[in-house]
Amino acid sequence: MSDVAAAEAGLAGVAPLPRDNGELVFEEPWQGRALGMGVVALQRTGSTWEDFREHLVTAIAARPQQNGESAATAYYAAWLEALERLLDERGLLGVSSSDDR
Amino acid sequence: MSSKPPDPDLGTYQPLTYYQMREVSLRELLVEKGVITEAEVQRAMGEIGARSPERGAKMVARAWLDPAYKARMLADGSKAAEELGFEVPALKLIVVENTEDTHNVIVCTLCSCYPWPVLGLPPSWYKSEAYRARVIAEPRSVLQEFGVELDADIEVRVWDSSAEVRYLVLPMRPAGTEDLGEDELAALVTRDCMVGTALP
Repeated sequence: MSDVAAAEAGLAGVAPLPRDNGELVFEEPWQGRALGMGVVALQRTGSTWEDFREHLVTAIAARPQQNGESAATAYYAAWLEALERLLDERGLLGVSSSDDR
Repeated sequence: MSSKPPDPDLGTYQPLTYYQMREVSLRELLVEKGVITEAEVQRAMGEIGARSPERGAKMVARAWLDPAYKARMLADGSKAAEELGFEVPALKLIVVENTEDTHNVIVCTLCSCYPWPVLGLPPSWYKSEAYRARVIAEPRSVLQEFGVELDADIEVRVWDSSAEVRYLVLPMRPAGTEDLGEDELAALVTRDCMVGTALP
């Protein structure tokens, strides 16, 4: 199974990747990069999609889609938050989060 | 996303949005800490974008060379794609074969459903209302406009894609290609050949 297919399978049903007509949707390039970065970061830290999914569900609940914002933007905004939380939990972000840089 | 009016001082320059910046800073931090490399992220993104007509072309070339593969492909397009390592998530891929007396062409009359796992992104004309309506009503004229001249006794079949079912046209192998290998054959197969709006 490919990396992205693993992400699709791991997140299906609960927090599926945004799609339109079955095709992955990226409104802006950073969203595709966020997905690529997540795939690699999970692999390199030995994390599973189940680990990530928990954080993603929490992040989506904490930050629902805003007015005038596309579903893909809302999803990948939560995606970044979830990825930061997961990496922080593993002590990989140091004392400061990327927000403070 | 910012909803502020454009700043005249910036001209056409687009400042980074909040999440753009956040994505960049997280990625740079992870690279700095040695968790990931830019090359790995590029490779993962390449996989997302790797769905291109080359995949469909490889399937077609294989089918031309290997009758057993062709039979499997016509029986189950999704499985035949997966056999070559191309995943077709959550879609049923049906391969329709052009023959001496039948020509196939695909469309999505409702929107722009397309066999993207094996052809990549659809061309803009595929999504146009003109193509979607006219290829159903007058397929021969549309094909003629694409430069596909068909004898009057050839039946034209138009396949309407849906959210669940996608079609791929298996073109006829051109005459005089008996000596070509799989890669050379695949190079003859363009995206439009597999949509049915061109011949190899």
